[in-house]
Amino acid sequence: MDRNLTLGDRLKVRSMIYVASEPIPRFWPMRTFIHHNPLFGLEHLPFEEAVEEGCRLFNGRGYLPRQHYQGYRREGKVDDSALRRYVRRFVEDQAVDLPGIDVDAWLWTLITECSAERLIASHDWLDGEALAAVLRGRSAKLDSRVVIEGLHTLLARKIAHDGPVYANVDRLFGTDIGSTLNDLLVKSCLDFFDEGQSAWQAPGREQGFYFAWKKVAWRNVRFFLRGLHLRELLASSESPEGVIAQILVLLKIPEESWQKYITRQLTRLHGWAGFIRFRSMAKHHYWATRYPADLTDFLAVRMVLGLALLQEAARHHACPGDAEAVQDFVEQDPFAAYLRLELYGGTIMPGWAQRVDDALARRSQRGYEGLALDYIQAKLVHEARQQAQALRELARRVSPTAEEALKTLDPTQIEQFLQILRNWERREGFNWLKAMESHYITDLVRKVHLPESKPEKRPFAQAFFCIDVRSEPMRRHLEALGDYQTLGIAGFFGVPIGYLEYGKGSEVHLCPAVQTPRNLVVEITVELNLEEEPLYGALEHVLHDLKSSVLSPFVAVEAVGLLFSLGLIGKTVAPVTYHEIHQRLHAEKPSTRLLVDKLNAEQADSIIRAVQRAMIVRALGKELGVSRDRVTDDEVRELREIVLGHQEGQNSLARRLGLAAAAEAEFIEKLRTVYRVDRQETSLQMERIGRLGFSIDEQVRYVSQALLSTGLNRNFSRFVLMVAHESQTQNNPYESALDCGACGGGKGLPNARVICAMANKPEVRRRLAENGVVIPDDTWFLPATHNTTTDQIDLYDLDLLPARHLLYLERLRNGLAAATRRTAAERMPTLGATGKLAEDPYAAAAMARRRAHDWSQVRPEWGLSRNLYGIIGGRHLTEGVDLQGRSFLQSYDYRLDPKGRFLENILSAPVVVGEWINLEHYFSTVDVHHFGSGSKAYHNVAGRFGVMTGNQSDLRTGLPIQSIYKDGKPYHEPVRLIALVEAPAPFVLAAVGRLPKVKALIMGGWLRVIVLDPEDDYRALVLEDGEFQVHPDSGRQQRLTLLEASA
Amino acid sequence: MEWIVLLLAAVLLPVFPLSWIFNRLIGSAPGPWGRALAILVLPQLGVLLLYHTGPLALLLLPLSLQRIWLMLVLFTSVFYAFRAVSAREISIWSRLMASSGLTLSWLLVANGAQVHSVALFVLALSLPAALLMIWAGMLSDRMGGAYLGLQGGLATVLPRLSALITLSALALVATPIFPSFFGLLQVFHRLDLAWLWPLLLLLLIWGWSAGRFLQDLLFGIYRGEPMVDLGLGITWAGAVVLFFFALSGLIWSGAWTGI
Repeated sequence: MDRNLTLGDRLKVRSMIYVASEPIPRFWPMRTFIHHNPLFGLEHLPFEEAVEEGCRLFNGRGYLPRQHYQGYRREGKVDDSALRRYVRRFVEDQAVDLPGIDVDAWLWTLITECSAERLIASHDWLDGEALAAVLRGRSAKLDSRVVIEGLHTLLARKIAHDGPVYANVDRLFGTDIGSTLNDLLVKSCLDFFDEGQSAWQAPGREQGFYFAWKKVAWRNVRFFLRGLHLRELLASSESPEGVIAQILVLLKIPEESWQKYITRQLTRLHGWAGFIRFRSMAKHHYWATRYPADLTDFLAVRMVLGLALLQEAARHHACPGDAEAVQDFVEQDPFAAYLRLELYGGTIMPGWAQRVDDALARRSQRGYEGLALDYIQAKLVHEARQQAQALRELARRVSPTAEEALKTLDPTQIEQFLQILRNWERREGFNWLKAMESHYITDLVRKVHLPESKPEKRPFAQAFFCIDVRSEPMRRHLEALGDYQTLGIAGFFGVPIGYLEYGKGSEVHLCPAVQTPRNLVVEITVELNLEEEPLYGALEHVLHDLKSSVLSPFVAVEAVGLLFSLGLIGKTVAPVTYHEIHQRLHAEKPSTRLLVDKLNAEQADSIIRAVQRAMIVRALGKELGVSRDRVTDDEVRELREIVLGHQEGQNSLARRLGLAAAAEAEFIEKLRTVYRVDRQETSLQMERIGRLGFSIDEQVRYVSQALLSTGLNRNFSRFVLMVAHESQTQNNPYESALDCGACGGGKGLPNARVICAMANKPEVRRRLAENGVVIPDDTWFLPATHNTTTDQIDLYDLDLLPARHLLYLERLRNGLAAATRRTAAERMPTLGATGKLAEDPYAAAAMARRRAHDWSQVRPEWGLSRNLYGIIGGRHLTEGVDLQGRSFLQSYDYRLDPKGRFLENILSAPVVVGEWINLEHYFSTVDVHHFGSGSKAYHNVAGRFGVMTGNQSDLRTGLPIQSIYKDGKPYHEPVRLIALVEAPAPFVLAAVGRLPKVKALIMGGWLRVIVLDPEDDYRALVLEDGEFQVHPDSGRQQRLTLLEASA
Repeated sequence: MEWIVLLLAAVLLPVFPLSWIFNRLIGSAPGPWGRALAILVLPQLGVLLLYHTGPLALLLLPLSLQRIWLMLVLFTSVFYAFRAVSAREISIWSRLMASSGLTLSWLLVANGAQVHSVALFVLALSLPAALLMIWAGMLSDRMGGAYLGLQGGLATVLPRLSALITLSALALVATPIFPSFFGLLQVFHRLDLAWLWPLLLLLLIWGWSAGRFLQDLLFGIYRGEPMVDLGLGITWAGAVVLFFFALSGLIWSGAWTGI
C-alpha cells in the first residue's frame, strides 16, 4: 500500500498546495487585526472577474441583493444616468432581435421595480418550450427521452467527478460527512494552534502539526469510538505529502484533477487555512517558530480524517467509497441518484419530500424511474409556472402590451430572452456598484474646494492626524475652533518601528503589514523598580491563574467567585466609576523614555554589561538569598567574568559566603542557562542592539519625509502635534480592528513619540535647515493620541516641554477638549443617541466615555465603517467640507515632490492599506456570513488568536455584523474606495506606471481613481473601464458657469 | 369480550403493533383539520371504551400478562419516540410523538387512575398534536409541503407560524408549564421506581427529537421564495388556545396534587 514518494513527488504535492492556497488570504491573529481584502489572492484579476471567482471558491456573494440597491436609489445615492448607460451598453452587446420586446425597458423595470433577488431562478428542467406553453395557458410537458438525456448532463454537472468524494456522498446519501469532518479538524486545530488559552496543552507540538496530530490520533479514543480506522492510513506514509498523495490515489482522483481537488479542500475552512498560511510565512511569530505548521500538514490531517469518515460511511450506509464508485453509482441508477440529490441537497419540492424519502428508505427493488419521471414532470410544471408568473408580473410593470408581446415569442426566442435576463442578472450587481460610485464621484467633484490665494498666517498649533476616516470630524472641528492647521499622514508617521514596550516580553511591529521594520525602539522607565509589583496587580494575577488552572475551578468558584462578581456588577452597573476605581488600584505606568538614537559599540557593550550585572544581582537574591547591600560591584564584576569564561577559579563572593564548590558551580550554570548570562547570548544581544534606534541620517530622512510629503516646509507653529490614534473598548476581540491600520493594528503612540523625539533634536533640525526646511526654535513637536472611541486627545511627554511653551498649554488643552466634545456630539447620534444629544456636547462626550467602558457594548464605535474616499492633496480641497467621517485624508503637495517619490510612497502604502480596509468592509457587508464574521453575539475567542461562531467553526476572518449593519440594513455603503489625487495627470500616471502592483489594482478596478489636475484648470479626470474621462462638473471655468447658472 | 375491548382500546390508545392502525387512521384522514380531529377524538374513544364498556379490561388480565402488556406499552412509547427522531414532516412527527405519548395512558390505567385523569392526560398530548397538524397544513399551503430541514431559518420568514409550531411542539414533548408535563409527572408519581428508567430514556429521546425538530425549523439561513406569514387573527387564536391550554395544565396539576 505504501507509495514511496521521491523528492520530486513531494515537491510536486507541495507546489500544488502552494498554488492552491494562493487565493486564500492570510489571516493575522486578532491581537493585531489587519484589515485585508478577502480576495487579496485574486487581485491579479479584474475586480468583476475576481468577485465571480471568489464567490465560487468561498461560496460567498459579491454584491448586495437588488432590494438594497433599490433602497439606495430611492435615497438618491445612485446615478440613474450611469445606470441607464450600462443597461444600454449591455443591450447593444447582446445583438439579439426579439420582436415586440423592448429589452431596455424590461431591464430597467427589472432593476428598479422587481423586488425579488432573482427574476430568473436556477432551473433543472425549464426550457423555452415549457415556458412558452405555460405563458400561453397550456400545460408544460416533458418527453421522457429528453429527460433521460438531460438527466445525465444534469448529474454530471451536480456530481462533478473531480469534486470532493465525501461531498458527493453527502449529497447522495445525506451522510453529513462534510460537517463532521470540519468539526473534527477544527478540534484538532484548536488543540495544536492554541496560544496559551488552554490549561492543558497538546503534547509533542514541537514536531509540527501533522506529526503531533498523528501521534495523538494513533491512540485517540474519540476516533476509535466513532469507528474511524486511522492506523492503516497513518501507516501508509511517513510524510504528510506522502499521505496526501496516497489518499488521492485511494480515492481514485485523476492526477490532472489533484490541483483542483486540493483547492476545494483548502477553501472549505478558509479561515483556518488563511491563519496557517499567515503563520507559515511569519518568521517573527513566536508560536509559529515554536510549533511549526503549514498547509501541507493541515491538508494531510483533513484528508486522513475525510477518508476515515468516508470509509466508515461506506461500511454503515453501503455508499461508494471513491470517486469512480460514486460515478458508477450515478450511472447505474440515474433516477435514484437524482431523487437522492434533490432530497439530501434540499432542492426537492417540499410537497414531494416525504414521498421520495419513503421511497428511498424502502430501497425499492423496482427502481425509481416511475417516481422520478413523475417528480421531474411536476418540477418542470412548477418551474415553468413560477417563471411565467414572475415574467408576467414584471411585464405588467414594463408596459400594457409587454405581456402580449411575450406570448408571441416562439420557444427559441423565449429561450434567448431568458438568457439575456440571466446574463444581466449575473452582471447587475457590478452595474449597481458602478452607478453608486458614479454618484459619489460626482458628489466629491462638486464638494471639493479649489484653492484660492490667502495671506499666510502662523497658526497657533499644527496637528498631524492619521489619514484614518475617524480623524476627519476631529480635524474639521478643531479647525473650526480657531487657529489650528491640521495635516493628514499615515498613522505610523512614516517611521516603521519594531517596538519593545516596557514590561512586555516581545517586539511588536508598528507599521503597515506590508512592511518589516529594520529599527527597534525600546521603552525604558525612568523610575526602574524591577522587584516590586503592586498588591492589586499581584492579587489579580493569582486570581486569573486560579481561573485557568484545571482543577482549581472546582473549589475556586466558592472561594473567590464573589470577588469576581464584584467586578461583574461594577462593570455592568457603573462602568465608568468601576473603571476609575480599577485604574486607581492599579499602579500607574511609570514615566518612560524611548531609545531613539543608535548606540555605538562602546555604548552597546556598556548596556549589555549593565543588564548582565542586574541579572546577576537578581539571581543572587533569588537563588542564594543574598541582598544587594551584601555584594560589592567588584564581586559582581568578577562573577560576570567567570560566568562568561573570561576568568577561572573560585570567586571571592563564594569564598566570603562559604559556598561549597558544587553549589557555586550549580549557581554559575544557572546564571548561564536560566538568567542567560553567557557568551553566545551576549553576541546575540549585540546583534539585536545593532537594530536599536536610528542613526542621525535616518532621523533626518524620516522627519524630512514626514514634513515634505505632507506639504509642510514653512510656517511652523509653536506646537506641532503628532496625533496617533487608538481605540478603547472592553470585552472586544475586535479591539485591534479599531486601532491604527497603518501601525499594523496597533496603537500609534510610540511612533508619534519617536518622530517627535527626532524632530525636536537640534542636530536633526540643523541638518533639515541645510536642506531648506527651517524649523523655528520655538517650535516643539508634541506626541498625542486621539482616542477614537471617546474622541479624547491626550498629550504625552509633557515633562520634556520647554518652560516657555507651558504658558500656552492651557489654551491648547482647552481647544482640544472643545473639539472632543463637538466631535462626540456629531458622532453619538449615529450610535443611537437622540438628536438632542448633539445640542449638549458635554452629555455626548460622557456617553462616548461610557460606551468605551461598557463591557456589554457590541458597538463601542463605528470604526472605519462607511469609509468611501481617499483624498491625496492639500487640505484646501476639503477644509470646512463636511465629509461625514468617510474620507481618508492624506496631505500632499506635488510641488514639493519633483521626482514623484512621495507620491509613490503614498500610493504603495497608505492607498493600498486604504484599499484593504475598504474591501474588508465591502465584502463583509455584501456577505456578512461568508466574508464577514456573522454576529458577535455568538462569537467565542479561539486559542487567543481568532474568533469562532459557537464553540467551534471556521475562524471568522471578516467584520462582525454589528460593525457594518444598523437595524438590519447595511450601515456601511459597500462601494470601492474612490481615491482623488491632486496633482498633474501626467505626473500621477508616471508615478503609477513605476508601481506595477498599484497599477494592477487601479487598472483592475479594485479602487476608483480621480486625478484633479491643478495645471489643467483643476479638471477632474475619472478612470472608468480603463480610460480617463473628464468629469463634466469639474474645472474652475465650469464651476463658475454652474454658479452663474444657479444664481 | 374483554380481549376485544382491550384490542380495540390498544388501537385507539396505540400499543404496538396495533398502533400501526392508529397511525394509518390518522394519516389517511382528509386534510389537516381532519387529521387534527382524528387525533383528538380517537384516543378519547379509546378511554371511553376502556372505562364505560364494562369492567376495566386491562385489570382483568392475570398479573403476569399485565406486566407484559405494560412492557409492550413502554416499548411502543420508546419505539415511536425513536422513529420521530428521523421524521421531518411536521404532521408525521406530531403523529409519531403523539403515539409515543398517548400509549403511556395505559400506565395510568394500570395504576387505577380515574377516568377523567386518563382523559385529561390523553387530551394533554393530543391537543398539541392536533394543533401541529393544523399548523402543518398552513405551512404546506405556503411551501407546498411541511417537510422541515430543506430550507433553514423559517423563523425569519414566517415568524408567527414558526412561533406557534415551536410552542405546540414544546407542549407535545412535555415541556413545563404545559399540561403534558404535569400529566407525565402524574405517570412518574404512580409508577414503581423500577419502571422509571424506560421513562427517563423516553424523555431523553423526546428531548433529542424536539431539538432536531426545532433546529430544522428555526436555525439556518432562509434562501427560498418570500412567503406570507399567518394573519394576526389566526396567530392570536393559536396563541390564546396555547395560553389557556397551559393555564388549564397549571390548574389541573393543582387538582391532582392537591395544591
